[in-house]
Amino acid sequence: MGKKRSDIYSVEIHGTQDLEKTDKEDEEEKYKDLKGNKKKSKKTDDLKKELDLDDHKLSKEELEEKYTTSISKGLTSARAAEILARDGPNALTPPKSTPEIIKFLKQMVGGFSILLWVGALLCWIAFGIQVAQGVASAFDNLYLGVVLALVVILTGIFAYYQEAKSTNIMASFSKMIPQQALVIRDGEKKEVPAEQLVVGDMVEIKGGDRIPADIRLIFSQGCKVDNSSLTGESEPQSRSCDFTHENPLETKNIAFYSTTCLEGTATGMVISTGDHTIIGRIASLASGVGNEKTPIAIEIEHFVHIVAGVAVSIGVLFFIIAVSMKYKVLDSIIFLIGIIVANVPEGLLATVTVSLSLTAKRMAKKNCLVKNLEAVETLGSTSIICSDKTGTLTQNRMTVAHLWFDDQIYSADTSEEQTTQTFDQSSQSWAALSKIVTLCNRAEFKPGQENIPIMKRVVVGDASETALLKFAEVILGDVMGIRKRNRKLAEIPFNSTNKFQLSIHETEDPNDKRFLLVMKGAPERILERCSTIMINGEEQPLDRERAEAFQMAYMELGGLGERVLGFCHLYLPEDEFPDTYPFDTDSMNFPTSNLCFVGLLSMIDPPRSTVPDAVSKCRSAGIKVIMVTGDHPITAKAIAKSVGIISANSETVEDIAKRLNVPVEQVNKQDARAAVINGMELKDMTTEQLDEILLNHSEIVFARTSPQQKLIIVEGCQRQDAVVAVTGDGVNDSPALKKADIGIAMGIAGSDAAKNAADMILLDDNFASIVTGVEEGRLIFDNLKKTIAYTLTKNIAELCPFLIYIIASIPLPIGTITILFIDLGTDIIPSVALAYEKAESDIMSRRPRHKKKDRLVNEQLAVYSYLQIGILQSIGAFLAYFTVYAEQGWLPNTLLGLRVNWEDDYSNDIEDSYGQEWTRYQRTYLQWSGYTAFFVSITIQQVADLIIRKTRRNSLFQQGLLRNKVIWLGIFSQIAIALTLCYGLGSVTALNFTPLRVQYWFVAMPYAILIWVYDEIRKLFIRQYPGSWWDKNMYY
Amino acid sequence: MARDKAKEGDGNWKKFIWNSEKKEFLGRTGGSWFKILLFYLIFYGCLAGIFIGTIQVMLLTISEFEPKYQDRVAPPGLTVIPRVLKTEVSFSISDPKTYEEYVAGLNKFLENYDNDQQISDMVFDNCPDKPDDYINRGAFNNGQGQKKVCRFKRDWLENCSGMTDSSYGYKDGKPCVVVKLNRVLGFKPKPPLNDSLPPEMTGKYNPYVLPVRCFAKKAEDVDKIGTVEYYGMAGYAGFPLQYYPYYGKLLQPKYLQPLMAVQFTNLTYDTEVRVECKVYGENIHYSDKDRFQGRFEVKFDIKSS
Repeated sequence: MGKKRSDIYSVEIHGTQDLEKTDKEDEEEKYKDLKGNKKKSKKTDDLKKELDLDDHKLSKEELEEKYTTSISKGLTSARAAEILARDGPNALTPPKSTPEIIKFLKQMVGGFSILLWVGALLCWIAFGIQVAQGVASAFDNLYLGVVLALVVILTGIFAYYQEAKSTNIMASFSKMIPQQALVIRDGEKKEVPAEQLVVGDMVEIKGGDRIPADIRLIFSQGCKVDNSSLTGESEPQSRSCDFTHENPLETKNIAFYSTTCLEGTATGMVISTGDHTIIGRIASLASGVGNEKTPIAIEIEHFVHIVAGVAVSIGVLFFIIAVSMKYKVLDSIIFLIGIIVANVPEGLLATVTVSLSLTAKRMAKKNCLVKNLEAVETLGSTSIICSDKTGTLTQNRMTVAHLWFDDQIYSADTSEEQTTQTFDQSSQSWAALSKIVTLCNRAEFKPGQENIPIMKRVVVGDASETALLKFAEVILGDVMGIRKRNRKLAEIPFNSTNKFQLSIHETEDPNDKRFLLVMKGAPERILERCSTIMINGEEQPLDRERAEAFQMAYMELGGLGERVLGFCHLYLPEDEFPDTYPFDTDSMNFPTSNLCFVGLLSMIDPPRSTVPDAVSKCRSAGIKVIMVTGDHPITAKAIAKSVGIISANSETVEDIAKRLNVPVEQVNKQDARAAVINGMELKDMTTEQLDEILLNHSEIVFARTSPQQKLIIVEGCQRQDAVVAVTGDGVNDSPALKKADIGIAMGIAGSDAAKNAADMILLDDNFASIVTGVEEGRLIFDNLKKTIAYTLTKNIAELCPFLIYIIASIPLPIGTITILFIDLGTDIIPSVALAYEKAESDIMSRRPRHKKKDRLVNEQLAVYSYLQIGILQSIGAFLAYFTVYAEQGWLPNTLLGLRVNWEDDYSNDIEDSYGQEWTRYQRTYLQWSGYTAFFVSITIQQVADLIIRKTRRNSLFQQGLLRNKVIWLGIFSQIAIALTLCYGLGSVTALNFTPLRVQYWFVAMPYAILIWVYDEIRKLFIRQYPGSWWDKNMYY
Repeated sequence: MARDKAKEGDGNWKKFIWNSEKKEFLGRTGGSWFKILLFYLIFYGCLAGIFIGTIQVMLLTISEFEPKYQDRVAPPGLTVIPRVLKTEVSFSISDPKTYEEYVAGLNKFLENYDNDQQISDMVFDNCPDKPDDYINRGAFNNGQGQKKVCRFKRDWLENCSGMTDSSYGYKDGKPCVVVKLNRVLGFKPKPPLNDSLPPEMTGKYNPYVLPVRCFAKKAEDVDKIGTVEYYGMAGYAGFPLQYYPYYGKLLQPKYLQPLMAVQFTNLTYDTEVRVECKVYGENIHYSDKDRFQGRFEVKFDIKSS
């Protein structure tokens, strides 16, 4: 997991459980109270209550008895195998996945598929009846039915394939290198796969290992674990064999599955495995949380309902009209099929899938990996982001943030790629301080990293020392060289009793024979040992005033949630400590008091440099960012302030109380914009109180929260009708990730449980990537609107022919097969091309859409596409149809009411307007030419439709015609496909295309231009008169 | 939860149809409906105007006397009268009802060829009584008013004219069919070259006649077809050229296309006999896809009892 954050110094201002217990007398407690941070928050919540684990209370002997094992010899192999058979492998049960066949069948019946199946079925029924009646053209219906079924199956397979492809990306993620565990069995140490661990096994762990199961420690040496994935605490926790707390989660003698051992070694007994572990329980909590339907899925469903509703009602209406016009029922059924096929945009759902996967690809390039295609859009409609702190908002590494020397606080650069530090480095005090920082430090760079940027180099040492080392390296350069020149003679490493670290060095100045004693540690401990303080390079007595200044600085830095270290030094007098003086660290034959205090350094896990900008972008995009962390309120608040989650001028209730000097209860809660809520407070809150907080405060930080509480917070947000995004990396986040409308897991630091529960993975763990995601999500929503508007338009042009055919009894203007060639042929690439359209305006400066009000397909879109552009297109296509017939001898007035004669298979001498007589086949061939002309006209007008759909509000000239090259590819493909169908496949009779005279391609051109002009006028009025009747009715 | 939602949904649905608070019908108030309907009235009014306008412009480019293109209609089809359903002529000699439909069809069609229909010399031209060359009547416009048309005597069809036998031979089990070449404006059929004809037809060759011949479609029917009698102008089994070209409905409203008749006098009864008739000409084509182009097929099924 790569988290190395052990803290030798443990200068916990806020304290952690361990310190409280082990160093009860420790004076730092005072300071803690000073900060108003009452002892350790009791992390009691449901999860912990549920836990009926008492292994931590048992003695070694009792444990041996309970698990029938031996601490020295471990289990026998035979016994282990037995238990393994009983308990199952030590692994988390993967979340239940839907069987592939079910997924596939779902694609077969989802969306429009049902409608098309009905169409196909009707076709076959019609075929059956016609065959029985001996109708010559019966087989057309059989083929049409087969084609419809094929369309459903192929689009289903396509959608399934797209889904599967994105799922596969995930599968590769969850594949892990099998973990090994060092276990004692049959009295011998051996390596076994962690999966085969059983209860009662004795395992040995060492620094860097992942804990393979829940373990009761029997022996421990300097063992520290990182529980952050479980609790969200960024502080490492020490682990020993002592029973320190009633609560199994708090006690020090249990290490948990999937946490990491940072340093030290330990031996322990496995007390639970697999799903029975704490992590296992949280994971099962996550899998118990139902998956919410994504907003885009709801929108698509809504849209499918609209279209299906229109299709069915028009179909039934005209079925009734046809029957009452004395058409045969069979013919009426065939009309019904035609109406359904014309109404259903067969290719649209596939197009939407492609558009979404294109966006998913684009997002993956920007480090947002989307697991579930539909989640692509969800970020765009997100109105609340609940973000975890550690690793998401912060860099997840300690960095020097502030310095205090010469009675002054300096800020250090905490960005990820610092190369210089810009604070005032001219003071002599700084020179002294830097020397201490450099010398009193055991961390070292791993060799061979000279060419790697300093901040990226790998360091051997704990987090604080690493921070100091890198800080020194950045400013001074060649720390290792300095250390070599100032040879270390003696050293006392940090321990928890002393709470300081000390070393004695020769100086690099050959004329100065004095030794330099340097020391760092908990500030108050260091101060105790000092009698002077360095101001501007001068040693001055440490009087009351100076001590108060120190306290002020210490408090201020502590108030920033930073970990503070004090530094002091002493030049040992040459006469007392000659060259050969034997320094002995055991007897401490050198002074450790009356030193000279030099300064303070404070460190923090700093926010990522991109985060404040990202947070403010979210703000301006109308997204509320809430911090939900397991960390301490002060640290959380400090980070929240520094990244802008709590903006500079907003106050919490507590702040106001402090400012006005009144009790917290008297403050009007409405006045506080910000709120910091502790997990403990949250626990006692009712749902209403939580809702009130979420409503009343725009800037909220939840600290010390448990997994359940995260879930409660997410649910609370969802009750406000918000679309909630949750970011997190730990196992403790996974239930919330699952519950969220979109769960976002960290790709690098994230635990597998989190990744499994999430819908999206940030490959670079960078919160700023979320903003990209929001932008892409909003863009795809807008563009899907355009795609759907584009696609729906031509449905009217496909539908009208049928209606006119039924009512006016003209020869059929366009065939069902031809319609399919538009829906699944010429229209596909252009509608995908709209997904590449750039945003019309700054989509990041408007509020997120309201999931119940701002629909994907709203009334305006449907009405404008169906009743305006669609109708325009229809009459354009009808013009072409009438032109073809008229120029071949059938004037429009002759066509009306002609249908029965026209379709009579045994009339081979039907007269046209000029008295010429036509055989059946000649008429059919002309009918196909009519289809082709109608088809070509729709295609030509769809080009215009495509161009106008580029924008919804702006003029095309504002948007730029050439910016989206893919649109032109779409137009080109559209025309190329039409040309191929018309001239290339014109001789294949089954397709009903004929080679058309060239001029018929241009008949609908005036209408294409009219469509474009009309739409420009529409947009002009919308821009000119915002809020007007026109704007309300014409803007979709 | 779910139930509540459903209820809520129902309420919304009703409210959507008629919202009494805001006085909204289907989400719009009366005023709003008026505005939107007015808009669509104007919008569709304009569209209708534009559509009719463009149709008119299109029609302006088309002559009323001749079609712009004849891509599909030529070469012409060959049509048989009476109109037969499923290309089957099926009747019983003893039962007049079974063939009255055919007789009626022939009667109706031949009405126009009655002598009393062809009296006016204003309309009818005295064309030669035997096959002759094309008669060109000028350009395809009404500069010279209507064009005259040739007379065609019904009695040239002899036994099949219906004048001697009002049942056209059906009551004797010797059915007649009348054959016509589909009218195509301006089309001048070219008679076949003598050597391109089947040998049995070369005897009656006339350079001004488009010959027609019927024969058994299948080899096994050759014996069942019996004697085939052909009737036409001057005894020629075909279409004489002086009736061409056709000048269209407007210029020749009374145009009589040349006919010929075929009588099957010795068909085998109580079995299906498939007959194909073909017209021969240099610019007459046959197509596998269009089985009525230059030929037709008919199936006789005559029941003796």
